Amino acid sequence: MKPTNRPRIAITGLGIYSAAGRDVSSFRQSLLAGRSAIGPIDLFEVASFPCGIGAQVHGYEPLDHFTAREAGKLSRVDQFGVIAAGEALRDSGVREHYSPYDIGISLGAGAAGMLHSEEWLRVTLSGQKANPSLLRGILPDRTVTSIAAAYNLCGYQVSITTACSSSASSIGWGADLVATGRVQAALCGGSDCLSLLTFAGFNSLKVVDPKPCSPFSMGRQGISLGEGAAFLVLEDEARAKRRAARIYGYLLGYALGGEAYHMTAPDPSGADAARVMIEALHYAGVPAGEVGWINAHGTGTPLNDAVESRAMKLVFGKRATQVPLVSTKGLTGHCLGAAGCVEAMTTVLALNEGMIPQTLNFRGVDPECDLDYCHLGAKTSTAQIALSNSFAFGGNITTLVISK
Amino acid sequence: MKGHALKSALHNTVITGLAAISSAGVGIEPLRGALERGECLLKPVPEGILAGDGHYWGKADAFRAADFMPPLKARKFDRCSLFAVVAAGMALKDAGIDPASLDLSRIGIVLGCGLGGIANAEEFMRGYFTAGAEGMVPMLFPNVVPNASASNASIEHKLKGPNVTTIQRFCSAESAFLMALRFLEEDRADVILAGGVDEVTPVMLKGFQALGQSRSFGSGFSEGAGILVMEREGDARCRRAKIMAHVGAVRTVGRMPAASAQEGIDRLLPEPCRADLVVLSGTASGDRALLDRLPTAPRLETGRILGRSLAMGGLAMTSLVLRLPAGGRGLYLAASPEGPWYAIDWYGGDPVQP
Repeated sequence: MKPTNRPRIAITGLGIYSAAGRDVSSFRQSLLAGRSAIGPIDLFEVASFPCGIGAQVHGYEPLDHFTAREAGKLSRVDQFGVIAAGEALRDSGVREHYSPYDIGISLGAGAAGMLHSEEWLRVTLSGQKANPSLLRGILPDRTVTSIAAAYNLCGYQVSITTACSSSASSIGWGADLVATGRVQAALCGGSDCLSLLTFAGFNSLKVVDPKPCSPFSMGRQGISLGEGAAFLVLEDEARAKRRAARIYGYLLGYALGGEAYHMTAPDPSGADAARVMIEALHYAGVPAGEVGWINAHGTGTPLNDAVESRAMKLVFGKRATQVPLVSTKGLTGHCLGAAGCVEAMTTVLALNEGMIPQTLNFRGVDPECDLDYCHLGAKTSTAQIALSNSFAFGGNITTLVISK
Repeated sequence: MKGHALKSALHNTVITGLAAISSAGVGIEPLRGALERGECLLKPVPEGILAGDGHYWGKADAFRAADFMPPLKARKFDRCSLFAVVAAGMALKDAGIDPASLDLSRIGIVLGCGLGGIANAEEFMRGYFTAGAEGMVPMLFPNVVPNASASNASIEHKLKGPNVTTIQRFCSAESAFLMALRFLEEDRADVILAGGVDEVTPVMLKGFQALGQSRSFGSGFSEGAGILVMEREGDARCRRAKIMAHVGAVRTVGRMPAASAQEGIDRLLPEPCRADLVVLSGTASGDRALLDRLPTAPRLETGRILGRSLAMGGLAMTSLVLRLPAGGRGLYLAASPEGPWYAIDWYGGDPVQP
């Protein structure tokens, strides 16, 4: 049953820092141009792996954003988070309207400061004394603490760690925080960065494509990893309108659930992915017929893309071929803990631009993926509503229902 | 209670089951006994792990995975996941819930987890650093994610409802608890297992020592799991479940800078502040400004008995439910060094069951 007294949740601020754009404006340009950010990685040694590419934020210089003292205390993930959160907060203007105690943070986290912590381990194993500050960011909650301190936000804080669905869940939960009045504004999003652990780990599972990922294509071999941070600011629509805030769109509803099937493999039937999408529509009060397109989880692994296509058919039936299922991971790479928010923000921007993004890097038609994936180019669209799917290790699934 | 069939108009959330794995032992009874005795169960950290005297930890030494599953199966889990899988089963049993008889999509699990996954990450990377790509053990990687424990528990018990893992300093389990409350309130599930799970390993202690925290926040670090079964009161009464406690208001503040700390305290602990039992978790016992606001009532600090961990709130809230007299009013206060803070009102069940 859909809660009848739930207020409409408006999106009033956007912020991003990623390989595909270091602010919303440049990210929008990459999206419109269909420009992939995937290329060679030089953040750590990749020569021993079959794949050496990803969507890395190249040439990042902490001192462009932080004092040396500040930078020394923050991991790469924390820094990306503080930068992107700052853009979203400035864009929304909420800090000028609400008490710091009424602005909360709901963040999706991933590998956190693992990039630095693994260096501590490497040096320690070599018998040398490692710099202890390398361990500062090892816990995923550090990014929230850093953002709260940087912008004097004193309201609710949480870090959600459901792997690749973390930051999609953080947005849904942020909407709940606003809907219940626990906060007046919720800064929701995620931050994650490339690390040797995740790069080596996914390579060890043989799910990394040596070429830029090609979701839903014939011959796809897996993911391309990415990094970055993205944030949305959510508010009650009535309050946002009272303060004449710019409204980019709405988070109409969400759902989350578990497959209870396998730690790394999705249930091949797609039944639970479909169930969560249907529940999200139910909570949003939106009939499936009103959904214009889906921002897929679309990792580019052979299994994920086939299962997600199957789930689409369970949700939309005969109409499934008319509802484009697109993946923007060819643009941004798979940003893991930040992926859900990067893709939610992409969805908001695309809805506002009246377009459906292209799924990049097409290699040929896969008979198991027989829907419309916009492989040949972006499309213009009058759609008002889109879904954004996030699937994760452990069978954690989150679907967001977003409108412009 | 199948699906939505027996929904009631009552929306209060109640606790109908508990599970604990801790330095006190495996199960609720060892914990109850330890709380009654009030003795500290921390043991010295072996000399080979941390140099110097005065280091203690709270290992769940009595826990043997083989008591609950075949060794071959246990091998696929990290220690944190083992705690979660076993504790989730114990909690469901304590609540009298047979998942197979219910709509599994209506049973969720929301756990706080602080250090879960780090042990596997360390072992995986150790293999890479010592033997290159050939040294990596792929089966370790899936359990490096912090949600491995909640997800493995959901897989083992076939729970398909909301499945979330949270971390926020020493209030990781309280974050999960608040989320679970909302999921029940919004009818996203009928039953939620909520609480915390953590493990402690030698390399973690070395990390605390490297950061200079082995005698402060990292002192007396512990491991285990505390899980509470949460349901709407109406549903629980329909199935004649034992009501162990009622959950009252949950208040939380993220950060309290000195300039506005009074506002934070007022929001967290509005006056008048009444309770028959106060339970302190995380670093609350060192927060003088908050302690001054607390009512005069018996205080229980589980960290002194069991040790501390980031998700210790699961065990601390379980302890509160065990100690709160029927009809009594409890106040639970959790704190972290840089925030957040949680204050939760509780009411003893009818009656608190033995």
